[in-house]
Amino acid sequence: MSAPQEIKTASARAMLLGPALVFMAMVFFLPIWTVLVQSVSDPAISNALPATVAAVAEWDPHTAPTIAMQEALAEDLRAIDDPQILGDVVRRLNSQQAGFRTLISRTSGALNRLADDASIDLVAIDPRWDDPIYSQAIAATMSPTTDRFLLAAVDMARDAAGNIGTVGPDVSANRDTFLRTFAIAATVSLVCLLIGYPYAMLMASSRGWVRGVLIASVLLPLWTSLLVRTAAWYVLLQDKGLINSALQWVGLIDEPLGLLFSRTGVVIAMSHVLLPFMVLPIYSVLLTIPPNLGPAAASLGANPIRSFLHVQLPLSSLGIASGSLLVFMSAIGYYITPALIGGPTDQMISSLIAFFAMGSANWGMAAAFGVLLLIPTLLLYVAYDRVTSRTNGRST
Amino acid sequence: MTASMATSRASGRGSTTGRDGSMAASSARVAAMNGASAPFIALEQVEMMFGTHRVVDQLDLTITRGEFVSLLGPSGSGKTTILMLLAGFLQPTAGSICLGGKRIDHLPPHRRDMGVVFQNYALFPHMSVADNVAFPLRMRRVGREEIEQRVTRALDMVQLQHLRDRRPAMLSGGQQQRIALARALVFEPSVVLMDEPLGALDKQLREQMQLDIRDLHRRLGLTIVFVTHDQGEALTMSDRIAVFNRGRIEQIGSPTEIYDRPASRFVAEFIGETNLMAGKVTTTGPDGSLIRLDSGEDMAASAADWPAAGNEALLSVRPENVTVQPVGTARRTERVNIMQAKVADSVYQGDHLRLHLDCGQRRMIARLDRQVADYAVGTQVDVVFQADNCRVIPT
Amino acid sequence: MKAAKIVFGLLAVTFLMAPLVTILPLAFTSSDLLSYPIRSFSLRWFEELMISDAWRMSIVNSLVIGAGATLLATVLGTLVSLGLRRSFAFSGILKSALLLPMVVPAVILGVGMQITFIQLGLVNTHVGVIIAHTVVALPFVIVSVSGSLAGIDMRVERAAMSLGANPLRVFGHVTLPLMLPGVLSGAVLAFATSLDEVVLTLFVAGPNQRTLARQMFSSIRENISPAIAAAAFVIIVGTVVVAGLVLLFRAAAQRQKPSTVTV
Ligand SMILES: Nc1ncnc2c1ncn2[C@@H]1O[C@H](COP(=O)(O)OP(=O)(O)O)[C@@H](O)[C@H]1O
Ligand SMILES: [Mg+2]
Repeated sequence: MSAPQEIKTASARAMLLGPALVFMAMVFFLPIWTVLVQSVSDPAISNALPATVAAVAEWDPHTAPTIAMQEALAEDLRAIDDPQILGDVVRRLNSQQAGFRTLISRTSGALNRLADDASIDLVAIDPRWDDPIYSQAIAATMSPTTDRFLLAAVDMARDAAGNIGTVGPDVSANRDTFLRTFAIAATVSLVCLLIGYPYAMLMASSRGWVRGVLIASVLLPLWTSLLVRTAAWYVLLQDKGLINSALQWVGLIDEPLGLLFSRTGVVIAMSHVLLPFMVLPIYSVLLTIPPNLGPAAASLGANPIRSFLHVQLPLSSLGIASGSLLVFMSAIGYYITPALIGGPTDQMISSLIAFFAMGSANWGMAAAFGVLLLIPTLLLYVAYDRVTSRTNGRST
Repeated sequence: MTASMATSRASGRGSTTGRDGSMAASSARVAAMNGASAPFIALEQVEMMFGTHRVVDQLDLTITRGEFVSLLGPSGSGKTTILMLLAGFLQPTAGSICLGGKRIDHLPPHRRDMGVVFQNYALFPHMSVADNVAFPLRMRRVGREEIEQRVTRALDMVQLQHLRDRRPAMLSGGQQQRIALARALVFEPSVVLMDEPLGALDKQLREQMQLDIRDLHRRLGLTIVFVTHDQGEALTMSDRIAVFNRGRIEQIGSPTEIYDRPASRFVAEFIGETNLMAGKVTTTGPDGSLIRLDSGEDMAASAADWPAAGNEALLSVRPENVTVQPVGTARRTERVNIMQAKVADSVYQGDHLRLHLDCGQRRMIARLDRQVADYAVGTQVDVVFQADNCRVIPT
Repeated sequence: MKAAKIVFGLLAVTFLMAPLVTILPLAFTSSDLLSYPIRSFSLRWFEELMISDAWRMSIVNSLVIGAGATLLATVLGTLVSLGLRRSFAFSGILKSALLLPMVVPAVILGVGMQITFIQLGLVNTHVGVIIAHTVVALPFVIVSVSGSLAGIDMRVERAAMSLGANPLRVFGHVTLPLMLPGVLSGAVLAFATSLDEVVLTLFVAGPNQRTLARQMFSSIRENISPAIAAAAFVIIVGTVVVAGLVLLFRAAAQRQKPSTVTV
């Protein structure tokens, strides 16, 4: 291809791709990047108290606070005119060292009453300033980056000396939520596999209207709104719902099972929602297996079970892998179904993220959980991508 | 089909211009008019690289107006690439392409005025047959009524008038083929390029279409570049054949030249079937040449001036030029070669008999008329072939 | 063996279909409870959807936002698919990156969007919600349009060129009509995605941008009533109608043209 034509193709391509790339950069990649940044950023002190931070950096923490530091702090506090920024500073310092709330408010009040050119003696305003523990707290919070959100997300924290340690289960139980998330996702994947594999076999082996019905039964739910399906499971699972009524009517149970707001309910509803993602990849792989392999194995002396184990199962393993990865990957990020069908002890990581972001505007924590959820998701996506490209490569 | 085309042409002539009339002339006449010295299409030193892969290598090829030239070669030899270079879908990395004396290698495809028939027809699936055929006329902003007339005439020409409202998907392969042909011809392009147009058809249909296309070529005086990997097809249809191997022309010439006087081992083996015997040239000349085989026998061959005496060479003789006689009955002369052999296998092929012959280390194949008496496997025979049927080929 | 197959098949089909079959009739209950048995039928819950401000506004919002997101996602996704049609350096990675919104958990994207949209002044605006929905709808359009483009034989476009069509006319006469089914199904998928989106809406929408799905979500959480079944009915019927329209459109496009050549 000649050079001018190459330029023409390149510029046409840029015009086609440009709008979407700019769009995605602004409203997809930038938000994701923001989450990554939020999970490690802690800018309140470094932004609001720049002079103090510079002075603290030169101070030996084992000695008493210096005059230079006091003057810098006074300067910084006087420069703050937005009460919200002052609030952020107080909140951040107080979370590091109790007592800062009163200390700052008394100090900044006194500074405001003082004439601009008067000499500054913070210890005179509040004797606590003589205690290095408060200056150490400023030193500990002055870095614009932090690992405390990420640590807290896995129930860990740094002590005053900066050593990482585990926080007791009475304070924080985030690890349980992680384990629960993976356990629920694994259970759902298993349930989907146990129902989905035989179902896909049935689909692949049936003909005519039977196959039509089987395919429609997978596709119709897939096309139906997730919310509609979740609402439907809400109706089915409630104590007076059809499942409990039917079981009671048959006489299997006397009392309703309490399926709604339970782990069982969450697993049932999620399995229903995700089952098509298991069935379809397996089905498409099963279709590529020549139907005469079974009889061939039988003619070679394999009984049906051995023929299944040695012929069909290995040949469909890529379908199983891609279906399971897809279901597991989707399941660990689920929010709506556990939020509506699950009880308080059935919430997954997504619920924690939503809680921190919307309930308490603690974006640092929300972002930290987000990062810890994003990493396994992306790893699973890469694995899924590998598996499916192998499947495609084989069938072509 | 031929008759109906003739009538459709005749009835349509009144409404069309003089150009149509001239195109109806026979290819021979047109070629004569233009003179063999005035090339219509000229490729000079054309080279095509895909990355570091040289697919067309310093190609020189000229085609006169009204000629039917086949590009013949194994798959991957660069035939499609040359066609795409002519049509303008690719630009050569070096060299020039001229049409009617003007360089066209930087013209985009839609301004080259070449009708292309693609391997899988490439009909527009979303248009009816008539709209497919009308497409090139619409692109040239031909008036509505003229379009209607010319589409009708083109469909008559391929005898598919009754299918004009169908979609391509509802047609058989052969019908799609004809639509593609009608579409490529309806705008009377200066050149028609065809890329293995018959490859997907069954044998019978293919042979019918070969005759039909050849007929159209003669009748309309078309200039056709026809790509195929089927040597039989090339031999049947072409004025000239260019045999390709790895992006180079091995030999170019009329079907008889190519078949009877292959210029290289590749051509000899690719076109038809041949028996090859290695040896050294002893004499060459206008009265015939001599070659001493590696096995020691001297064989007489047709006249040649190349390769020169002393060079390694191959002797090539076609199986149909090899005959067999009961042992001891053949007589060697200056212009007749004989060889002793044993029948290794005898295969009945319907219209002929193939004998596999063991001549010492060598194997030969003879293609015999089925009337000839059968030779049992193991029979000792004399193998006979005329010097004039033997070609000396450089190794 | 055969009996086991039949029983398993019946059970599995029941499991898959039961939720859809049970929720729809409840839209017509006259009771206040979203549960069986239905003692008598009425349309009161559809009236509720029309009369109640919250439901009515959410339906209007869903239509407006759905239309906006569908338009934006379809245009962007179609352009991207055309740009990615021929592979070039990194085109594979680029495509995988553009499909990421399908994979990234919605809650994570929601947090990021909330923070970013506050800075961009998009939070609590219709435009913001449309943009958020477009992000998650875009991959569906790309997959659908790329699929239909991959199905176009490049030789057909080359044929058009050799027959005298310049690049613009090749696109208009050949590429566009052949890719149109993919664009349309991409648009339907985009609309369905927007209609069903809850999580991002929770993060970036204010009370004035409450969508139908968002309204269903909070009403399942806070005050469950058969209005939800009525809303579900509306969504299902809406999806079926839109899909049906597309199928009709495609069938019409496929139908044979009149016998004279159209110029
Ligand atoms: N677009 C391309 N990029 C790289 N290599 C190509 C391309 N098109 C053809 N080739 C290579 O050029 C060679 C000749 O191909 P082609 O012209 O299609 O051969 P033919 O038509 O004789 O079978 C082949 O080796 C093929 O792999
Ligand atoms: Mg080819």
